[in-house]
Amino acid sequence: MDVQLKRGILDVCVLAAIKDEESYGYKIIKDLQPYVRLSESTLYTILKRLEESKMLTVRSAEHGGRLRKYYRITEAGRKRIDEFRAEWEEIMAIYRFITKEDGRYD
Amino acid sequence: MTKREFLSRLNEGLSGLPQEDAAGRLAFYSEMIDDRIEDGLSEEEAVAGIGPVEKIVAQIIEETPLTTLAKEKLRPKRRLRVWEIVLLVLGSPLWLSLLLAAFAVVLTVYLAIWVLVLSLWIVDLAFFAAFLGGLIAGVLFFTGSGILSGLPVLGAGLVFAGLSIFLFFLCKETTKCAAVLTKKIGSKIKSSFKGRRTQNETDN
Repeated sequence: MDVQLKRGILDVCVLAAIKDEESYGYKIIKDLQPYVRLSESTLYTILKRLEESKMLTVRSAEHGGRLRKYYRITEAGRKRIDEFRAEWEEIMAIYRFITKEDGRYD
Repeated sequence: MTKREFLSRLNEGLSGLPQEDAAGRLAFYSEMIDDRIEDGLSEEEAVAGIGPVEKIVAQIIEETPLTTLAKEKLRPKRRLRVWEIVLLVLGSPLWLSLLLAAFAVVLTVYLAIWVLVLSLWIVDLAFFAAFLGGLIAGVLFFTGSGILSGLPVLGAGLVFAGLSIFLFFLCKETTKCAAVLTKKIGSKIKSSFKGRRTQNETDN
């Protein structure tokens, strides 16, 4: 898949994983497992990118005698998901157009 | 491998990264391993599930911009002493020219690769021009001096057309190869910023 496209989709996947409640790294990977297989280093890069673009906030909290980082979605992050859905509608329309053309020539 | 071992090897591998970045990544992996253990895995299994350190280091280096790596490499680990600064300035005719030479070598390798590709494209263009020329001259000879002088020129033009089409694909492949090669050289230079120990391990 096109790298740029895939990166955009993965960003939104991670945002979707924290959209209902804040979450932590391992849980995000597990929640996304049925849909995409994310490696730890990929997730780290995505979280860092989303934090820098202010789509999520990070806080450290104690858990079982150690620190764990929790990620919470921001308004900008929610907006990104909405944008993605709108973009996807367009892409689906194009997809239907392409497959319709296919059908005619078959 | 234990968690401790994994983290210390990762730490060595990431020694080329800015301190803050490396620390953030180490904390992230540490949390990941702890969470896996909490989920019921043994320490061994938890570490194994993360993947080989060498692969992780290679991926991180690949993702980090070359400028960040170079800056970190050049950043002095402590403040320079006065005599060190004096030595640096006095030695500048030596190290500066060596540095420039190193840059020049890399640049020359790139240039050599791409000039070769460019020259192939130019030859291809010349063949195409010869084809066009042959076509026009052939038609002119046909109408001017008859079929016997027109036919060979037209034939020669067509031969050039064939050559130019053949060479076009060759050019395309060469361009692709050159692009791959350029990228490979880039990664090679980048990998020299990896931590010492990991480098030796991958070499073995």
